Amino acid sequence: MGVVTDILFIALATAVINNLVLINFVGICPFLGVSRRIDTAFGMGCAVTFVITIAGSATWIISHFALVPGSALVNAINSIAAGSVKDLLFLQYIIFIFVIAGMVQLVEMYVRKFAPALYKALGVFLPLITTNCAILFACLTIAKSPELTDNFLFALVYSFFGGIGFTLAIVLMAGIREELETADIPEPLKGPGITLITAGLMALAFMGFKGMAG
Amino acid sequence: MIPTIILAVCVMLALAGVFAVLLGWANVRWHVHVPEQLQHLMDAMPGANCGGCGYIGCSEYAEAIFHEGAAPDKCSVGGAAVAERIAEIMGVEHVAGVPSRPVVLCGADFDERLKRPEYRGEPTCAAAVMVAGVQGCTFGCLGLGDCVEVCKFDAIHIINGLAVVDYEKCVGCGACVRACPRNIIQMVPFHADAMAVVACSNLDPGKVVRGVCTVGCIGCGICAKLDDIFTIADNNASIDYDRYQADTDLSAAIEKCPRKIIRMEGK
Repeated sequence: MGVVTDILFIALATAVINNLVLINFVGICPFLGVSRRIDTAFGMGCAVTFVITIAGSATWIISHFALVPGSALVNAINSIAAGSVKDLLFLQYIIFIFVIAGMVQLVEMYVRKFAPALYKALGVFLPLITTNCAILFACLTIAKSPELTDNFLFALVYSFFGGIGFTLAIVLMAGIREELETADIPEPLKGPGITLITAGLMALAFMGFKGMAG
Repeated sequence: MIPTIILAVCVMLALAGVFAVLLGWANVRWHVHVPEQLQHLMDAMPGANCGGCGYIGCSEYAEAIFHEGAAPDKCSVGGAAVAERIAEIMGVEHVAGVPSRPVVLCGADFDERLKRPEYRGEPTCAAAVMVAGVQGCTFGCLGLGDCVEVCKFDAIHIINGLAVVDYEKCVGCGACVRACPRNIIQMVPFHADAMAVVACSNLDPGKVVRGVCTVGCIGCGICAKLDDIFTIADNNASIDYDRYQADTDLSAAIEKCPRKIIRMEGK
């Protein structure tokens, strides 16, 4: 298959078939918390897409040059200490969290300075999602699956469409919840109850995509 | 085992060092300058973000004061104290204003309203107002509490089917005025702690009003004969609040009103 086909394949598989929220159940907190209105849900989705893309590429670079066996940093340590360090993958989690939080801070400062309009739109959401589990999940998946670990472009496409899938799920949820506002819901199910049931039904519906692609 | 721990510590320290330098550099390099005066204004705001001033939130209002010279007395939550603080920061003279408070221009509770069929639709005023014949009076309070829903200060409640303002808690943000689909809540300058209010909005002729309500204004004009602060227009009495002063005494009209619909509202 050609590169374009591969990219389309990854995009579809990530955004819809292996949707972060509805299939992998990560990023549930913003999914339930910020899905009351479509416009704020869309803002949150955009912010997550933005951060997940940056975090995915940054952690791919770090992973590639510093953590995996035979990478530059591992080789350097081996030559200095003459030791036999195989890899630094045991530091993956903590380094990823650290890098994501740091990168988001950095990007937030940059956006605030050079794109005030974007900062006004995303500003409230950015601090909320610095160490969101959906983002860490995407980074760890990239580090885990061989076809993403080897190719930076694929990793980029994966993280971007992971964010698109999150946006899709949260905007759908917000649309349903706006309708639920005016629905006649039994008293005990009002609020979180009906929201969780709705989320469960949406996850069931998304299971229908299973088997379409990897 | 031990070398691994040392290795981990070294790597994390190096990473922390790199990020500390990077973020420190970025903070200085991309520093967004907030004028000191604007910062003081933001600190002076109560932070309720209620939108009562007409701006989206407290920081927008602070920016409007700073850039466009908006009036310092718009904040109804902070009242005179915040207005004075803002005026002090901006170096302008603050003239003490009169606080505005909402009054509900309907005085009929559930039992006083007539021809009220059972309503089983969606329990909001915005929906009920679209249903013809939801209650006899086409001007009166629907009692489904859209105003209660929007009030951030727990200052308005539905008591026996009628919205009643709790003036101890009300800050005058005007959210209930905007929420009422029948437009029967009105902002009134409170020159005194309690103000006389003609608690009826019905513009129908007296005969029709008598048919739908036991207390509604029938436009008889007795109050207007007693005191010219009252005007009768479209079969409904109203008070000219521009002329209402702290010492205005309307007890004669309140006493003589055959429907007892002129009431004192407030603390």
